[in-house]
Amino acid sequence: MTGVWALLGALAVAGAIGVLLKVREGRISRRAASADLPAPVRDLLAPGVTLVQLSTTFCAPCRHAKVILRDLADRTDGLTHAELDVTNLPDVATKLGVMRTPTTLALTADGTEVLRVGGVPKRDSLIEALRPHLP
Amino acid sequence: MPKDRPVDPRGPRFSAWMTTVILAIVLLTGWWRLLAAQTVLFAMCAFISLKLNPWGHVYRYAIQPRLTPTTEREEAAPLRFAQGVGFIFALIGTLGYATGLTTLGMVATGFALVAALLNAALGLCLGCEMYLVLRRYAPALARPQ
Repeated sequence: MTGVWALLGALAVAGAIGVLLKVREGRISRRAASADLPAPVRDLLAPGVTLVQLSTTFCAPCRHAKVILRDLADRTDGLTHAELDVTNLPDVATKLGVMRTPTTLALTADGTEVLRVGGVPKRDSLIEALRPHLP
Repeated sequence: MPKDRPVDPRGPRFSAWMTTVILAIVLLTGWWRLLAAQTVLFAMCAFISLKLNPWGHVYRYAIQPRLTPTTEREEAAPLRFAQGVGFIFALIGTLGYATGLTTLGMVATGFALVAALLNAALGLCLGCEMYLVLRRYAPALARPQ
């Protein structure tokens, strides 16, 4: 009988995690800008706004995020996309407060964080949120 | 370690459904030998090759020919990493059931089932997304292969 409850419990937990992650997928958040960016991130900054996408070797959705962001950057003036593989750079992820991949940071040329997106970004809401910061 | 080629993403989804069913049977019956067999399967896929997964063969010969072909491919590295995470939970579960620590067995099997079901139903790889967290708290387990 305990086994039945364990199974029902596991199904409930899976359902809750699934709903939570689907709701949070692509959500845009803003946080107070941190003063010093890690060097590997700073090296990627371009004029205008740079979308720095943090990925790992083991991240399947990172590929989808890359396709969306690269296309968005190609069509938008002043927007650049760069991918940083943090599989072997856990300190960079920790310093940026990034716990999951893909996470995308929108950074201005001087390194100010405009916003960040957890999971695979949603094209329309992202471009809407970026518009005030684009030339 | 041999590298696997990218795969049709529907294969791993099918495989995840089968794993979910197996883990559900283990939870319902407490049949630890079945869990031990699943543990060995996880280990073979994670540490040797995804080609050793019998569900992959079932998919290729019995299901794939009936589906419309897809050019979409998924990299093997995330899949193998996920199998490694499954291996750890299944191993703890097997040891729990086999040594009489049934609660431990159930909890570990439950975690593995949650991950397998999320993968099967939503195509979500919990272990892959949380790689950075695993790396932070269990560096030895999450070392890249």
